[in-house]
Amino acid sequence: MTAILRTEKLRVEYRSREMRQATKVALQGLDLEVHAGEVFGFLGPNGAGKTTTMNVLLGFVPPTSGAAYLFGIDVRQPIARQRIGYLPELTYYYKFLTAEELLRFYAKIFGLSRSEADRRIPELLKLVELEHAAKRPIKSYSKGMQQRAGLAQALINNPDLLVLDEPTSGLDPLGRMKVREIIQRLKNEGKTVFFSSHELGEVESVCDRVAIIHQGELKAVGRVADVTGNHASLEKAFLQIIGYQMQPVS
Amino acid sequence: MNNIFAVAGVVIKELYRRKDFYVLFIVTILICVMMASVNIYNDAHIVRYLKEICLLLIWICSLVVAVTTTARQIPAERENRTLLPLLAKPLTRVQLIVGKFLGCWLACGLTLVCFYIFFGALSASREHQWPLMNYFQAAMLHWFMLGIVVAMALLGSLVFAAPSSNSTICFVIIGGILFAARHLDQVALTLREPLRTVVYSLYFAIPHLELFDLRDLVIHNWPLIEWKYFGLALLYALFYMGVFLVAACQVFRRKAVN
Amino acid sequence: MSSSRTFWLLALALLVVCFGTAAHLEPQFQAWQGSRSSGDIFNVVLGDSRRMFANSFYVKADEYYHSGYYPTMFDDNAAFQTTHMAADTGAVNSKNTGDEHGFLGPTRNWIDAFGRHFFPNRHTHLDEGGPDDDLGGSDNVREILPWLKLSADLDPDNVQTYTVTAFWLRQRMHNVAEADAVLHEGLRNCPGSCDILFELGRLYYESYHDTDRARNVWEAAAKQWEKKYPELNQDQQKDSRLIMEQITTHLAKLEEDHDNLPKAIEWLEKAKEVSGTPEVLQQDIDRVKYKLMQEVNPLLKPLY
Repeated sequence: MTAILRTEKLRVEYRSREMRQATKVALQGLDLEVHAGEVFGFLGPNGAGKTTTMNVLLGFVPPTSGAAYLFGIDVRQPIARQRIGYLPELTYYYKFLTAEELLRFYAKIFGLSRSEADRRIPELLKLVELEHAAKRPIKSYSKGMQQRAGLAQALINNPDLLVLDEPTSGLDPLGRMKVREIIQRLKNEGKTVFFSSHELGEVESVCDRVAIIHQGELKAVGRVADVTGNHASLEKAFLQIIGYQMQPVS
Repeated sequence: MNNIFAVAGVVIKELYRRKDFYVLFIVTILICVMMASVNIYNDAHIVRYLKEICLLLIWICSLVVAVTTTARQIPAERENRTLLPLLAKPLTRVQLIVGKFLGCWLACGLTLVCFYIFFGALSASREHQWPLMNYFQAAMLHWFMLGIVVAMALLGSLVFAAPSSNSTICFVIIGGILFAARHLDQVALTLREPLRTVVYSLYFAIPHLELFDLRDLVIHNWPLIEWKYFGLALLYALFYMGVFLVAACQVFRRKAVN
Repeated sequence: MSSSRTFWLLALALLVVCFGTAAHLEPQFQAWQGSRSSGDIFNVVLGDSRRMFANSFYVKADEYYHSGYYPTMFDDNAAFQTTHMAADTGAVNSKNTGDEHGFLGPTRNWIDAFGRHFFPNRHTHLDEGGPDDDLGGSDNVREILPWLKLSADLDPDNVQTYTVTAFWLRQRMHNVAEADAVLHEGLRNCPGSCDILFELGRLYYESYHDTDRARNVWEAAAKQWEKKYPELNQDQQKDSRLIMEQITTHLAKLEEDHDNLPKAIEWLEKAKEVSGTPEVLQQDIDRVKYKLMQEVNPLLKPLY
């Protein structure tokens, strides 16, 4: 199967602010592949390197060594991002724009024609249930509405790969359900979804494959069932893989 | 190019949806109307003092709009985290910088159009004449000067951490250039080496923004500048805009965005 | 409820105490030397620096007179030591030296040469056509008036502002009523000023053709000068002789025009005492004396 997303011995080092360390290693030789059409969960505790991996894939941060490819194109080329959609963890958009204007802006960046944008924008607003608030400035939106607007802008170019950084973070149960439904719908359309999350329950229910990263190292990768193994749940498997020792309850 | 114009469009939208421009415009109108209502020896034809006050306010307001609008572009994108979804699109950093520059510059142009129309109406109300070509030359040179200022402020926004420090430094530099740049070579001659060489080099290196200040010519109804010198001044401005933009692109390329 | 009532009662008591204290202190504050509340707005806002602003606005008027062609602090301003708009009124001795047409000097480099196309670069006077060389627009000299008015408001003690303003109002703008008002305002702020009295006399004589008032005002000016002259230092005495010469020569002319020749001779003699060119005045004295003798003896041949 062709790998839509691929990293080869990806290493990222930062200059450390701590006295004793010259550099801090955020990623240590990460080898990862995501295949077309699958929903891939990228898991790890806080500070494991998930967001750093996404930053490298999106071209925000150059790797210290190694390489990363999207659709076979080096991530440092802007054209690599033509077929992806990205939803960051904390989403804030131009507060003075309305949702419609925001989508029109991003459509223009992707080079969509006016007619195509006119067709696509109402579809997306309906998908994320923002059609009633399309003409209101984003500064008047709730957190959930802003997240949905973010999802809409990530889908504006009908991407083949969707990169989502904790898409259900800060959402209420209804909001999380809507996001899961959208991910499922995208999967049914043959899109590839690569997302990170702390909600292992929804990862278990939505993902085809998962990878677990800890302290910059890839600890496990494979189908959900394979990673879970003999453990009762993905969560227990996760805790065991990252080396967490449960304290006895007295 | 669509990318660049898309980014520029957002900047212009931001300008007319913020209150800054309207406040400055209204304050300018109020001050000018107040000055126009002053009785000076019962002579209703005196107009040059009014033109001077109006043009001074236009220059101050346009510089405030240019510097403050530009100084907050990249820092606000970074602070509001709108930079990440933007750069996740097929938009290079160079395109982003150029788009921001174009947006700020066009926004300044729109501001100037409004101000100069008001200025023309105000002076025509007393002078009963419309020296349109003179106003065109003055406005065009003013706009190109603001282009240099915008490019400089954009570079500053990438170098300095806070928009406030960038704005302050820009205002100080611009004020210094407008008041003293023309005479720096004379000042250099009064100094001893090596300061003389430093100041003399600075004289040739800095963009001479005072070249674009045609206020005295407009106020006192001097004839038009020759078009060849006008064209050369525009080219001079474009050169400095290019220098600052290239520097800004180089700095932004090396900056982390997260 | 009771705590709310207590709060409001305390607030009311505090208000009463504040107003009472303010009312008690007000008369003392008004009498205080450092108080700025009794001054006009300029005095309050600017304080003693208003004279500095007044001077800069006075120079601004001269800059307008030259349509913006004016030396900065970096340029050679030897030709602009005395403001031309004042010198042209004849009210002051010009101290200007050097080349007023080329104070910028030769071009120093390509930036300087290029830059000279973008600001006023030719010496012109507003009442002599301005940058357009349009003599029909010589009443454009009205444009200096706002700065003169502002300068007078900021520094009411500067006599020259009133005389220069009145001169241009009367001579170029033919606005005699306003010139009259300016001079009277000047007399209120600078009582007994010879320069203002002289200018007022000219207004009465040349514009209103009121000989008696002109004579009275000029004679008052001459008396004031004689009273103040001994109190001046050497430099001030040297400068003030010009105005006395102007007063006495105008009085002489007035008397001569009204065939009061002995009085005319008397004034010319006084003018000669203070003049820098006594020989010229001696010729005038001789001429008038001859005229007087001709009246007595019509058979006398002409002097020249």
